[in-house]
Amino acid sequence: MKNNTELKESAEHAQQRSNVYGFLAAVYRKELSAELLVQIKDSPFREVLSDLGVNLGKEFFSAPEEELIENYAIEYTRLFLGPGKHISPHESIHYERDDGDWGTHWSASTVEVKKFVESLGLNYSETDRSMPDHISVEFELMQKLIEKEKEEWEVNEGKDALHYIKIENMFMKDHILKWIPQFCDKVIAEAELPFYKEIAKLTKKFLEFDKKETSVNGEEDRQKVEQA
Amino acid sequence: MAQLTRRNFMKFAVASGAVLAAGEGMKSKALAGDIKTQTGRDFSPTTKKERKAIPSACWQCVSRDSMIGFVEDGRLVKLEGQPKSIRGNGHICARGQAGLTSVYDPDRILHPMKRIGPRGSGQWKRISWDEAVGELTSRIKKLRDAGTPEKFLYHYGRAKASSGKLIGGMVKATGTGSIGNHTGVCESAKWTAQEMTWGGHFDNWDIDNTKYMLIFGSNILETHTNHMSVAHRIMHAKVDRGVKMVTFDVRMSNTAAKSDEYIPIKQGTDMAVFLAMTKVILDKGLYKGAGEEFLEYCKCTEKHDDSVANKIAALKKHYANYTPAWAAQISGVPASTIERIAVEYATTKPAVLIAYRGPVTTYNGTDCERARQVLSSITGNVDAPGTNCKAVGAGWSSAAIPKAKTKKVKDIFDGAPKGEPESYPFPTHHASHQVLDRIKAKGPGTFDVAVWYCYTPVFANGNHMRNIEIVKDEKLLPFVVSCDTSYGDSTHYADMIMPDATYLERYDWEDMVDPTQIGEFYIRQALVKPLGEARDFGDVMIEVVNRLGIKTDYKTKEEYVKMSVDMTPGVKEAGGWAYMAKHGVWNDGKAKFYSYKKEVPASAIKEDGVVYDEQAGVYWNAKKAHAKPGDSYFKTKNAYKYYVATKMGNKLLAGFKPDKINKSGYMELWSQVVKDAGYNALPEWIPAPNQKNMGPNDMHLTTYKVCVQTHSRTQNNKWLTEIYPNNHAWINPKDASKRGIGDGDKIKVKSSIAEMETYAHVTENAQPGHIHISHHMGHYQYGRYASGKRAPEGRDDPDDKNIHWKWHGSHPNQVIPNRGDRLGGFQRWNDTVVQVRKA
Amino acid sequence: MSKTKKVSRRDVLKTGGAVAAAATVTGMPASIAEAATGNPRWAFVVDLRRCVGCRTCTISCKSEFNVPLGRWRAVIKTVDWGKFPTARRAFVPRLCNHCAGESDTGVPPCVEKCPEAKSGKRMKLGNERYRTGATYKRPDGMILVDMDLCIGCYKCIDACPYGVRYVDPNVKLKRPDREKDLGIGKCTFCEHRVDQGIEPSCVQACPHETRSFGDMNDPGSKVSKLIKEFGLDKKRADTTLLPDEGTMPHVFYIDPEGVLDHYSFDHKNQEKRLAEYRDNII
Repeated sequence: MKNNTELKESAEHAQQRSNVYGFLAAVYRKELSAELLVQIKDSPFREVLSDLGVNLGKEFFSAPEEELIENYAIEYTRLFLGPGKHISPHESIHYERDDGDWGTHWSASTVEVKKFVESLGLNYSETDRSMPDHISVEFELMQKLIEKEKEEWEVNEGKDALHYIKIENMFMKDHILKWIPQFCDKVIAEAELPFYKEIAKLTKKFLEFDKKETSVNGEEDRQKVEQA
Repeated sequence: MAQLTRRNFMKFAVASGAVLAAGEGMKSKALAGDIKTQTGRDFSPTTKKERKAIPSACWQCVSRDSMIGFVEDGRLVKLEGQPKSIRGNGHICARGQAGLTSVYDPDRILHPMKRIGPRGSGQWKRISWDEAVGELTSRIKKLRDAGTPEKFLYHYGRAKASSGKLIGGMVKATGTGSIGNHTGVCESAKWTAQEMTWGGHFDNWDIDNTKYMLIFGSNILETHTNHMSVAHRIMHAKVDRGVKMVTFDVRMSNTAAKSDEYIPIKQGTDMAVFLAMTKVILDKGLYKGAGEEFLEYCKCTEKHDDSVANKIAALKKHYANYTPAWAAQISGVPASTIERIAVEYATTKPAVLIAYRGPVTTYNGTDCERARQVLSSITGNVDAPGTNCKAVGAGWSSAAIPKAKTKKVKDIFDGAPKGEPESYPFPTHHASHQVLDRIKAKGPGTFDVAVWYCYTPVFANGNHMRNIEIVKDEKLLPFVVSCDTSYGDSTHYADMIMPDATYLERYDWEDMVDPTQIGEFYIRQALVKPLGEARDFGDVMIEVVNRLGIKTDYKTKEEYVKMSVDMTPGVKEAGGWAYMAKHGVWNDGKAKFYSYKKEVPASAIKEDGVVYDEQAGVYWNAKKAHAKPGDSYFKTKNAYKYYVATKMGNKLLAGFKPDKINKSGYMELWSQVVKDAGYNALPEWIPAPNQKNMGPNDMHLTTYKVCVQTHSRTQNNKWLTEIYPNNHAWINPKDASKRGIGDGDKIKVKSSIAEMETYAHVTENAQPGHIHISHHMGHYQYGRYASGKRAPEGRDDPDDKNIHWKWHGSHPNQVIPNRGDRLGGFQRWNDTVVQVRKA
Repeated sequence: MSKTKKVSRRDVLKTGGAVAAAATVTGMPASIAEAATGNPRWAFVVDLRRCVGCRTCTISCKSEFNVPLGRWRAVIKTVDWGKFPTARRAFVPRLCNHCAGESDTGVPPCVEKCPEAKSGKRMKLGNERYRTGATYKRPDGMILVDMDLCIGCYKCIDACPYGVRYVDPNVKLKRPDREKDLGIGKCTFCEHRVDQGIEPSCVQACPHETRSFGDMNDPGSKVSKLIKEFGLDKKRADTTLLPDEGTMPHVFYIDPEGVLDHYSFDHKNQEKRLAEYRDNII
């Protein structure tokens, strides 16, 4: 069983992971907005990026905001939306399933992700026009799952947190890790401006980190819970 | 980039939290609700499959057959024909079966886009629907405010039934009448001729009751305007009932292959054979009986009330020189064959005469179809069971469309102005292939806004390369919106793209011609929701109109369709939309023949303004037509709209009601309006000027379609395109050896306007003196299967490595000029003279 | 939509996917085994008078199985002969012949060459017992494959004189002792539909009734009637493909015009017979 300090730490750690997934969901969701740009340029975030070795280039911080936003809107369209050659940010396009049921919109993966989401009691927002397996939706699901985990650390001595950790791991293993790292590689190779190239690198690194962290922590947590 | 460590991760996470806390607007909010799972039990996502069968209608081609879509877990997995449909009897074709891939096509456009950089550079930026609709609306509003709403050009490729009615209605509500169509590249010569003769357009062949099937230049077993619903009847008639099938064609189509007799015929000469067959029938007296009876209802001389004997005498006189020997020389068909087939056709009753694009895509186009009508008429094979009938389709009611006065830019849609080359006396379905040329001729300022809906002007019309030059010119077309499902050869030159919902994601009432003459009512409903941000263009136009301050009773096309269905007599009583959504089809069970024999009540001619025109034998409402007392029916503009009835003997008949052309209620084999336009009132053979002096090495270029492609909208369908990935040019071994061309060799095909490169298929199925090139292939843009434009990095398609073709074909429209038939202006697809050599 | 009907042994239902949908929803069990009356012998009749080469069957099969690009389970071959102006063209639909095998052994070549032909489960169909294998013949005549048992030796591809089997890039073999990573694909007579009482996808799709499927053991079935009317089983040399191979095909051709006399391919050459089993229009 975890003591209070450990429970608090676990809750905090979950909050942090949830935040990062939330951030990534926001970044991939749509074109770089003025709102997000301001935040990224802001000194705390800028400092973190420099700590992480994320190089957005001088222009990112010096170019006029409007110009930057326009250029990144074009970059986002070219990279992720088409028309013509593009890297569609959907699991169904990239997850190379053994049965060959992939490479088009709404293939087997889309159905699986949708069922996963709906089995959790969540719905796809009526007003949202994205597809069920969009990268940002998958990150948002992780954000929500981990938030739930966090809440569980805060009650009943964290008894049910493990339940959510298991679901997180399941989604990571069956979906996110099946395609997002490869997707990031494609973006890294194809991006012309630094932002999406660097974000793709960061996404990949974070997923590696989180995979390691969650599996280690998850195992510790499992042992502790089971001992109790 | 540094490795993520626990420490810098924490900093990153805290900063991420701060970013998220800073603004609601940037958070991803695709998921709603709260997570509810049972803790203490292992979570497992549900795997139960849910499969639904939803009635709908195909739209891969204009035949629009009823079908059922099978949807598993929200994913469309299979399409099959609708067994309850009296049109299709449960059948859709290969293209229909393959249609489901269009929804999930990885190369689909899913978001509104705005052009960045020069036109045609292929650089785009996503915009919101609000911005897209806003931009279009404000441009239209500016034109309206300036009193020039007609500078908004709307040009569509396919908008039928409710899509045509609603979208066309919304476009007109903006005040523009500048509307382009595509019938001028489709079959308009047939329609114009039918309007001249029996009024209205579209002939249906009552295959189920026929005893003889004579086909000219129609590959109806592979592809057709009303394809599968007729094709399956033909094969059943042939095999089950032993009905003889004879096909004249320039090349061995699958239809020719399956016929009891295939008779090769030289390009553009079907009319000569029609004329000669008519002469044979007249000379042998084979018009007696059914033919004579029907001739009562025909106009064959200047006098509408002439005796049948006089009519026959006049026809005999006109046809005197059109001998089988004469036709044999022109067409290459032996005189004895012409004579034999004429006798078979005239004596095996009832018979259908299916003549389609082959005969009419020529200089004589409209007159050729008139000659066909003569042949059907003198044998009595008109509008009776087992014959060529006036087509019947569903007559839907429509929810209210806002009324508006419209203005139209002149000299754009109907070819060149009178007196210039490429001007036509009867462009009743317009000359869409000339529109880009006409815009260029009129110069900058003609239009400010152009919307292409489901239309690829660059690819679908002749003179391909010049089309590109014109659409690239921002002075001629300052702002172009393309509304389509896929990126294509024309979308590439748009300034804004509006992603359309595919036909599998939308609602329509449908009305395609019913081969049973009953008229089937059927619907299309969304099998799945539109993918991404794709949106039915009907919805978009309703919003545009609403934003202009014009009210509508509906906000979406879905609402409009359901309202219309619910108010349609017959369907309404059956249960309206609820019934149609469940069953997909409805009919009243009554076959409609002999529509012209319907009597009109005497009260109709007593209405205010109705007068009798002696010359035409027509009662018409001259007052409503704003005619002056004594004005001629034939010469009053749009008099046909006010036609009431025709007097035949002492009867008042509905007759063959006019449409688009001022004609009487007779089957007008002899046409006053054609005479007034300076041509012979009866069909007349005039050799095509460009083919008069053909040299020994000149060849005829003809185009065709194959069973697994539609004209230009299926080439990115991998299942279809893997079977027909490119379009080899068919050439006969005789012609090939003369030119040193071997099977598979690269060749050059040169016309008066350009030269193209392609590959040869040397085959006995090609006719000597002809080269046959299908017109599906050779896309520059479009998706990976159609044009080879693939994903940039890594794999995103399991079939990518299986694409076994490198050549995507070569489009014959490169060398085909835009020229119209002499009466109706229909594009002369099959009239091009070319020189062919080894490359 | 329409109600699920119980399998009719006489004629497999015409209704098609409407039933398939219902059957899938209800998870209706295989109802083929009507033990009391004995097992069916499924057969397929192709009426060459009716085929117009429209490829509706080809595409319907593609979508039923999501068959990878460049591979086919059903194809149409265009047969041309003669010279202009009397040249002729006809169409020969092809699919797996679901051969009965040599008359003495009753084993078709693909099954004979499969090293894992009997390594599967013991099964019973009606009163007949049989064993599944990587490639095996069911007592009702269907030649089926089980990719859980397949080792990827591809001997069946070699063995089939018709070239109807292909390496399927979408079938990953799982056995540890497998020779190759990818399994094979072939026409299954739409076993998954037939077992639910629905006719094969291509039969449902064909607009011209070129294709008929049913039980040869039932004299009242459409295929039995056609076999009788045209003597299809009496003159196999004229009504089946490669009769000399002795494989006893159960796909029969109604061919009054002698189209098959004009259709041949080098079936001894593997490359050529596999290339022949492609669908391409020029």
